[in-house]
This record gives sequence, C-alpha cells and structure tokens, in this order.
Amino acid sequence: MAVITYRDALNQALREEMRRDPDIFLMGEEVGAYQGAYKVSRGLLEEFGEWRVRDMPIAELGFTGLGVGAAMVGLRPIVEYMTWSFALLAIDGIVNSAAKMRYMSGSQFKMPITFRGPSGAANQLAATHSQALDSWYAHVPGLKVVAPATARDAKGLLKSAIRDDDPVVFLEGELLYGSKDDVPEDEDFTLPLGVSEIKRPGRDVTVVVHSRPLHSALAAADTLEREDGISVEVIDPRTLRPMDIDTVLDSVRKTNRCVIVEEGWPVCGIGAQIVDDIQREAFDYLDAPIARVTGADAPHPYAANLEQLHFPQADLIVKAIRQVCYRD
Amino acid sequence: MQRYPAFDPPEYVDWSPDPEVMRQFRATIEADSGRRDCVERLSVERLVALYAGMVRFRLHDIFLKRWVRQGVISKAWLGTGEEATTVGPVHALDRGGEEGDIVGPMIRNAGACHEMGMSVADMFRGYLATADSPTRGRDLHIGGREYGVITPVSLVGSLAPVIAGLGLAFRLQGSKRLALTWVGDGATKTGEVHEAFNLAAVQRLPVIFIIQNNQVALGTLLDDHHAGADFSEWARVYGAACAAFDGNNVLDAHAATRWAVEKCRSGEGPVLLSAETFRMGGHATHDEAEARELFPPETFAFWGRRDPIGCYETWLLEGALDLSTGEPVAPGSAVESNRAVLAEAEAAVTAEIESAAEEALASRTDMPAAESAVEGVYGEWPDTSNPGPAPFY
Ligand SMILES: Cc1ncc(C[n+]2csc(CCOP(=O)(O)OP(=O)(O)O)c2C)c(N)n1
Ligand SMILES: [Mg+2]
Repeated sequence: MAVITYRDALNQALREEMRRDPDIFLMGEEVGAYQGAYKVSRGLLEEFGEWRVRDMPIAELGFTGLGVGAAMVGLRPIVEYMTWSFALLAIDGIVNSAAKMRYMSGSQFKMPITFRGPSGAANQLAATHSQALDSWYAHVPGLKVVAPATARDAKGLLKSAIRDDDPVVFLEGELLYGSKDDVPEDEDFTLPLGVSEIKRPGRDVTVVVHSRPLHSALAAADTLEREDGISVEVIDPRTLRPMDIDTVLDSVRKTNRCVIVEEGWPVCGIGAQIVDDIQREAFDYLDAPIARVTGADAPHPYAANLEQLHFPQADLIVKAIRQVCYRD
Repeated sequence: MQRYPAFDPPEYVDWSPDPEVMRQFRATIEADSGRRDCVERLSVERLVALYAGMVRFRLHDIFLKRWVRQGVISKAWLGTGEEATTVGPVHALDRGGEEGDIVGPMIRNAGACHEMGMSVADMFRGYLATADSPTRGRDLHIGGREYGVITPVSLVGSLAPVIAGLGLAFRLQGSKRLALTWVGDGATKTGEVHEAFNLAAVQRLPVIFIIQNNQVALGTLLDDHHAGADFSEWARVYGAACAAFDGNNVLDAHAATRWAVEKCRSGEGPVLLSAETFRMGGHATHDEAEARELFPPETFAFWGRRDPIGCYETWLLEGALDLSTGEPVAPGSAVESNRAVLAEAEAAVTAEIESAAEEALASRTDMPAAESAVEGVYGEWPDTSNPGPAPFY
C-alpha cells in the first residue's frame, strides 16, 4: 500500500495494464507530449511510444469512431476526453457505434473499449465545461458506467474497465485528481465492476452517493454523529450501470431511511432510479420519504460563490438527513 | 509602446524594428493593389484607432496577467502576439450595435469585444464574475448583444455553424448585415467547422470565417494535427471565396477583411480568410512554461520580431503621412510628430484600462446572490409545472 493521488492511481492502472497487454493503447487530445490535460498520462508516451499513446486532433466524434473501429479488430482502446463535457460531441460514437455494436451484430463483435476523462465541476470553468452527465450514460443499454470517488477505487475499477469486453464509460472527478488515498501497489489488484461499497457503516439512515459528493456525505456523517448522535451508513455504488442495488436495499431494510446524493441535475438523475428500486423492493421498510440532494437545476455558473452553491455540499446533506430522521 | 518586462514575452521587452521584417511588412501591403489602395485611403483616425485597438488588447492581457499573479483570478486566456488578426478585421465591420454586423470571438479574440464597443471594465467584470458583469457572473465567456458580440459557447468549433445561422437570418431578413468569427487551427479539425463552411457556401451566406493559425492547439503543434493543404486553399473545396492575410500585419488584416465584407454585402459570401500568426505564450496563464518547451527558441524569436504592435508602430512612425496634420510627407520625415500622436493615443488607452481595472475591482462588493444561480434558465416556466425534485434549492 502507498498513499498516492487519484491522478497517480489512474496513471498506475494505465501503466500496469498497458505493460500486461500490448493490445491496449491510449488515445485522446494532449495525452502524449503534454501528458494529459490533467497529467493523468504522465510518462506513458516515453514508456510506450507514440503508437500506443496517440495524440488526437480536436475531433472528439472522429477519434471516438477510430477507437470503436480499433476495438472491432482486436485492440483494447482507451479513449480519453479532455472533459466529459466535450464528449457531448462524441455521443453518436459512444451511444450508437460502441454501445450497440455487440447487440446489432448478433454478438459477432465485442467492444472492449474504455471511454474516460474528468467529469463534473472544476474550479470556475463554467457551464459548458462542468457537467455531470452520469445519468445520460447510465440510461444506455450496452454501456457500463463507473464513477470512482477515491484513488483506490479509481485504480482498481479502471483496471477492470480496461479488461472488460464491453464499452465502459469511466467518469473521473475533475476535482478529485489531487485527492489521496491508500492504494495497493500490487499489479493484480482490481476491483470488480458492479459492486457497491459501504464506505462507512451506520444504523439510522442510509446515504447513497457516488463520485466527489461522497466526501461531502462522509463529512455530513461525521457532523451528525457528533451533533445529533445519528449514525449514518454511507454507500458508494461506484458502478452506476449495472448498479449493485442489493447492498443499498439491505442497508435500507436495516436503517429504514434513505438520502440519495449526486452532483448532476435532479430531473431523471441517478437518484431517481435508485428511489424507484427502493420503492419496489423495500417500500414496507421505509419510515420516511426518501430525500435527494443534487446539483442545482440550472447550468453550472462561473462565479465562485454560485459554483459552491451548485454542488451538493455537506450542509445540504446534513439537512436532508435530519429531514428523513424527522429531526429538523 | 511602453513595454512591461514583468509581463511581456521576453522577445518584446527590448523590441526594436528588424529591417528585414519591416521590409516584408511594407511589401505585404504593396503586393496586392486592392489592399494597397485600401490602406492608402485609410484616414488618420482609422490608422490611430487600429493602433489604439491593439494597444488596448495588449494592455487588457497584461492587466489580466497581473491579476493572475496577484491571485485575483486563477487563470486567463490571452491573445498576446495575435492582436492584429482580431483588431484589423473588426475595424472593417459595420459596428452599429444591434443593427450592425455581428462577431463571435473565441478565446484569442477578446479584443473583438472592446473594439466592437464593449467597455474593458465590463470585460474585466466578466472575469471577476461580479453581479454587474455582462453575464451576471454566470460565465466567463462574455458577449454584449447591444454591441454585436455574441456570447460564445466555449467548445471550439461549435460557434462556426451558429455564425452561419446568423448569416442565414440576415439573408432571410433581406438585410446587408454579416457575421464573422475566428476558427483556430485546432478548431479546424472539428466536424462542426466543416459542416458550417459547407452550409454557408452552398447557401451563399454573408459570413466571414477567419482561420487563425497560431501554429498550435493547446499543446499540439500544427504539424501534429494538420496534414492538409495550406488553409488558404480550403475554401475552394467548399466553393467559397478566399484570401490569406498576414496575421501580424494589422493593415493587411484590415484590408483583406474589407474585401471580404464587400463580397458578403454584394451576395457573394461566404469568405474564408486565413491568417498565420503565433501564440506568444501558453494556452492560458497556467502553461507558459510548457509552451516555451514546445517550440524551439528560434520560433519565439522569429515571431517576436514580428510583434504586430511594434511593426505597425514603426510603419506609422516612418511612414509618408504626418499623423498630426494628416498631410503626406517624405517617408520618415514626421517621426517625431507621429511619435507624439501615438504616445498620446497610448496614454489615453492606458488610462482607460487602469480605470477599467479599478472599476471592475470595485464591483467585487457586489457578487451574484445565491438565489440567482437558478434564475434565467428559461424565459417562462408554466404555472402548472412540477417545481422539480430537488428539495434543497
Ligand atoms: C470541442 C472541444 N474540445 C476540446 C476543447 C479544449 N480546448 C480549448 S481551446 C483548445 C485548443 C484550441 O486550439 P485552436 O483552435 O488552434 O485555438 P487557439 O487556442 O490556438 O487559439 C482546446 C483543445 C474545447 N474547448 N472544445
Ligand atoms: Mg491554434
């Protein structure tokens, strides 16, 4: 184990997998000489050369198609987007070409491709650069969607995503790259897709949260433990599709209360799906309506003070938890 | 102009005219009789305004750099070294506000905002995100409808079809207005740009696209993303009129755009102009060092000698026009009086930028209110509608 950043954990995952399997290659804008807009691919060009670390022009739709084509004849491309907001231009390639190829071809073609890059707010990059479109991708049959919140999860899940034979949308937290965590150095370390993790055990209320807001939720849980004596169980699904909902259901059956937190917009969000699962499978266990805390229902603002408000901060989560515990 | 050693690219600090570069500068204007005639007819006011416009743009950048160093803002995107490619063309437009031509600036074209008439104070407020900034703190990409500046979408390439759409509307409305935008060399690789070129050409829309080739896209050298022909040849493929201009020569930029404007007004648009210039710094203030590593020092030196402001200033000083009287003189015989005219223009612009910065900083007492974050998403929201599931906003 070593304490390293989320950025370095991703870099390790890329490096280890590329060493293990020569069919894996990385492509995207500025991944080579510039070493990634967020320096995730540091040193990879040097080690693997320009055919396995390929700089692409500003042509998100086009190079997504290149990745899909390469995946159809046996390679395992990793496509980096400078941010997921720019992948809006590539959505035809992801949703039509990649997600449907296996199905439409009657399983003649597999699609072992990983689409990755930073998602969500950065510091003051404003509306077109700060979006958390997690639920868009989770909506699409044929895609797997992963959103790690810690360096350890980032490493273990990226390795599994790369080894997976289906297209994986891998959403990194743009403001998590510098966050640190204990990460196994063992190159056989992987974490399976589709498994939730209880990040903090508790008895009174279940909080379901993924990506950067996990850290707000953990802070909220500390506050409530201290100030209200409320014991909060925090669950990170980590994989949004397919989601391990059983871990969530087991927890709700125990705590009887639930708050769901996400960075994205509220309407048709990830939380809306989880609410649906819970009401079908565990309705009789609920002692209060489920609450959701989300990003504000507006484009992402530039002003630093508005940007803060736009994010599901710990104090909002505290408020929601008190509400479902009837303590407000 | 006065140099600012703490902020200028090192090549500009002790800048003095290089005779060979100046010879080329003059030759460029002489090379095309249409452009030469255009330049000869320029009034003293216009000549000085082109100078003042570039100085304004340079000082705008210098003030932003200072703010980044002081921690007032975290980052800024600059147009240093590329001023002529923005200022020359803008001065060829009808700057009639809501009834005039429209521009869509990209990150290197901030100067288009002030040359279209926006106040530099408002541009600075945009960076500071104050409640009284043009976007009310919502975005740092600012426009001003009343000045004919559209608010850009920051994805590169996305503006090109939008600009063509303005051209389509002007055609439908039977007006003589036109729209202009800049497309970076990097942005020419996006699909939207090519769709826009074709859509504009096949419908003969009054639109000017300026391909601003500054030799780099973020950290990617031109040769690593572009294998095609010279950009000035692209227009032929689409069936559009085209011309190239020297992106560091404000007169050439201005004259070429005037020609393009005429074409558009007479229904012979669109026009693709292409300009070669150079980004004298980083992609933004955070990666200046990377940019210095990316290019050999000779490249910076080559373009440094072509400082668009220094070259134009030299041309004016040594020219055959006395700027104080507007009278023709023997070339080089009005250096001192011309210097005085330019110094006066520079002093006025410097004072303008200094007070713009002060005004904008004073606006920081008025930051956008929290509740305002969710306002203005729609024009109207039906009464009967569900207010949405977010319980905490
Ligand atoms: C579609 C899209 N992809 C990536 C980016 C990130 N980005 C911002 S500017 C830039 C480089 C643009 O290069 P160029 O068009 O040559 O303009 P320059 O910065 O040189 O003026 C990139 C990659 C973006 N804004 N939009
Ligand atoms: Mg460029």
